[in-house]
Amino acid sequence: MSPFFFYLFAFVLIFASLSVVLARNPLYNVLSLVVAIFSLSCLFVVLEAFFVGMILLLVYAGAVLVFFLFVVMCLNLNAISFASAAQSRLRWLGGLAGLMFASSFGLAMKSFMKAQAMEVSSVRGTIETIGKILFTDYLLPFELTSLLLLIAIFGIVSLAQGALSTGKETDNI
Amino acid sequence: MITLGSYLALSGIIFSIGLVGVMTSRNVLKVLLSLELLLAASNLSFVAFSKFNGDYAGQLIVFFVILVAAAEVAIGLAIVVLMYRRLSTIQADELRTMKW
Repeated sequence: MSPFFFYLFAFVLIFASLSVVLARNPLYNVLSLVVAIFSLSCLFVVLEAFFVGMILLLVYAGAVLVFFLFVVMCLNLNAISFASAAQSRLRWLGGLAGLMFASSFGLAMKSFMKAQAMEVSSVRGTIETIGKILFTDYLLPFELTSLLLLIAIFGIVSLAQGALSTGKETDNI
Repeated sequence: MITLGSYLALSGIIFSIGLVGVMTSRNVLKVLLSLELLLAASNLSFVAFSKFNGDYAGQLIVFFVILVAAAEVAIGLAIVVLMYRRLSTIQADELRTMKW
């Protein structure tokens, strides 16, 4: 639990997530989310949650964000259309809501001094320990998750088929 | 000294940034990216609680959250691509009709 690594990855995480929200170019948004996920997984390793950190790196930075990049390149968005998107009338309302959440969170932190007294436990999230719990106590949620992924595949295939068929119709018309 | 409070403060900062992103951007793709930030912030606090409470359940919940988020992103991006084909824009304001 070295403080140096916590501060290093925490600063990288904060700046990368600021860049996700503020950058104008969609490619920079996605790539800075990759940096944010990478530093988050480093924080997981600092917390000795090795398995979850590795899964986060593989599934998020490896698959999900590459999918995002693929869609951004596929849609061929230019930076100008993205910049005009920022001119929302509700922009200040959203910023105000975020500030209100941050300040109420700060108030909650003040009354949360009990958390400061908690000691570091010897929990080490290796594949062995997580796997033992996953396949005994949490077997039913695990199987239900596979069902959820199957349903997601059905949904995407039906969406793509609908798009293909309507595309044909408009071509005929 | 790094305590549980530091991790929770970091998680709150990331959650606030993501919340501002969700509420201020009109772009559907950017809303999805900010939703990922919200999920990442909650994942961080789950793992921190797991470490400081001595309970593995937090890390398992993070595992399930990652799987569900993968499904959510796949469906969401499919809808974004369809929306771009129909309307040739991905601004959320253009979605005015319930049925097209």
